[in-house]
Amino acid sequence: MNAMQGLLQGFQIAFSLEGIMFVLIGVAAGTLIGMLPGLGPITAIAIMIPMIYGMDPTLAMVLMAGVYYGAVFGGSTASILLNAPGISGTVATAFDGYPMAQQGKAGQALAIAAISSFTGGTVSVVLLMLFAPALASVAVSFGPVEYFALMFMGLAAISSLSEGSAIKALISGVLGLMAVTIGIDAQTGTPRFTFGNANLLEGIDFLVVALGLFAIAEVAFLVKNRNDDSLSKTQNIGSLKLTKKDFKEMRGPLLRHSPLGFIMGVLPGAGATVASFISYITEKRFAKKPDEFGKGAIKGLVAPETSNNAATSGAFVPLLSLGIPGSGTTAVMLGALLVLGINPGPLLFQDHPDVFWGVVASMYIGNLFLLVLNLPLIPYIAKILKIPRPLLISLVVMFCIIGVYSISFNVFDLYLLLIFGVIGYLFRIYSFPAPPFILAFVLGGMMEQSLRQALTISNGNFMIFLESPIAIGLFAVSILSFAFPFFRNRKEKKAN
Amino acid sequence: MLKSSDRKISLVLIALAVGYLILSYQLPPYPFVPVDSDLMPKALGYLLIILAIGLFFSGKNESEEDKQENATSKSELLVLLTVTAMVLLYIFMLEVLGFVIVTVLFVFFCSWFLGYKNFKVNAAVSILFPVILYYIFNYLLQITLPGGILPF
Repeated sequence: MNAMQGLLQGFQIAFSLEGIMFVLIGVAAGTLIGMLPGLGPITAIAIMIPMIYGMDPTLAMVLMAGVYYGAVFGGSTASILLNAPGISGTVATAFDGYPMAQQGKAGQALAIAAISSFTGGTVSVVLLMLFAPALASVAVSFGPVEYFALMFMGLAAISSLSEGSAIKALISGVLGLMAVTIGIDAQTGTPRFTFGNANLLEGIDFLVVALGLFAIAEVAFLVKNRNDDSLSKTQNIGSLKLTKKDFKEMRGPLLRHSPLGFIMGVLPGAGATVASFISYITEKRFAKKPDEFGKGAIKGLVAPETSNNAATSGAFVPLLSLGIPGSGTTAVMLGALLVLGINPGPLLFQDHPDVFWGVVASMYIGNLFLLVLNLPLIPYIAKILKIPRPLLISLVVMFCIIGVYSISFNVFDLYLLLIFGVIGYLFRIYSFPAPPFILAFVLGGMMEQSLRQALTISNGNFMIFLESPIAIGLFAVSILSFAFPFFRNRKEKKAN
Repeated sequence: MLKSSDRKISLVLIALAVGYLILSYQLPPYPFVPVDSDLMPKALGYLLIILAIGLFFSGKNESEEDKQENATSKSELLVLLTVTAMVLLYIFMLEVLGFVIVTVLFVFFCSWFLGYKNFKVNAAVSILFPVILYYIFNYLLQITLPGGILPF
């Protein structure tokens, strides 16, 4: 009864004139910012924070939520058209979306992404509403042991993500974990690997790594291929129309990855990035033709795209009910909530039920807006392809610099951005996959914390990791996913 | 040939891991915790050495085509280095001359250098974008980008 009342109250807020207006503004702003190569939800939300000072908390949250899933949606457009994901959550979208665009099927890829996002987002909001209390209590029962096992599984999964060498993928992941150890250790306050540089004490910002490894490295390749006019050839993004066969192929992954993405979004530490990667991997593992993945497979596009949007809504469960951000982006959202004077947590339901239900109700409308706004606008969105390459290169560099500077106000971070750009470029030249690096970088801090918390509980005894059945299950899955690519390689060797 | 590029990388990685490990062992101990801040770095350092050795002896995953596709010619490298130098100069001058001036100059000359010859469009874009963005950030969003020598 309480939930029904809450939802009705929420819809009253969401369907008010102001509510609809702020959903619209948030979704539109988020889509535009997320679409710009190199700019993702973190930047979008961070940019919007100054705007919400003094606003009504519920409407402000409605706006921010709109920016968030709008940016995730817009990010997939940049992934598909330019192979330049603004956020790690849409990296997996580019694996099959970009090849599709290169084959002249950009329109279809964008339409598929829009439908997948809508489905994932909507299903996930329903689940958020129905299962929020129950799922939240499951996540509450997770201790550091389970968290560590979960994140370990996320990282193990990346070893099978890479197309080429599993060893190179693992090296990339380890380097990412190393990069995140730079800075003051959160538990003991020991500065690590800072070389006495005060700018490194707080560690390296996620945005610096993400923009450097992906956007700046992409710029380097754009520079190299600036005379290649294949992009202007794909000016015609092709038909948006999907055939019955396409829909049939989409149905399975849509059904599978909406709930999966939601669950991954609920688990703190997992979020849209892990959700999209795990969805992509499982879809590839169980596909009848895994060879097609990475070459423009529809299922390879639907899976991560459904999942990351489902996870976006799922991420609100721990953020709102436990006060734990599940990702870098929701951490920024947490900052926004604190600015508004709201302390998210179990008390939120008692003190500000209108905030929770207002956000839930606005998400229904927001997802509908995304679909209605974006399907007809796709041909115009795709005009981004017509920007001459030299101009695009200069402007992307400019946006990266603005993005980093407006978060840290520090020129030192801009030099770091350039360094990570060089690393990203070298990675691509020597076919080291960059996604494991960024995934490890996102998870690394939390992973180390939970490892050490667990060992502190057990007073240094590693056996604690084998005392939780959930953790054992997660470790077993990790080991299987480590072993899989090696077996695959061996099989291929034998076949040759 | 191909093997040697992977092998060179694996040697670089081992050197990196050793340096990282040396620094890890120099981390000051913190006496009141059962697991200290050096646990994870040490584990990572040894893990990287093992993986790099693995890479040294595997080196089979690159095909001849990949290599040629990714090979950078000397003239291209020069273009890349020039752009990198421009970005470096951009960053270096950002807080000296201010966002608007440096960005206008960077966008215009970088686009021009990379072969965009439409001067009118180039000038319009390189002036409009920085000015509008500067206005939005500084006055609408109150995120202050460096003003530099300009008075507003």
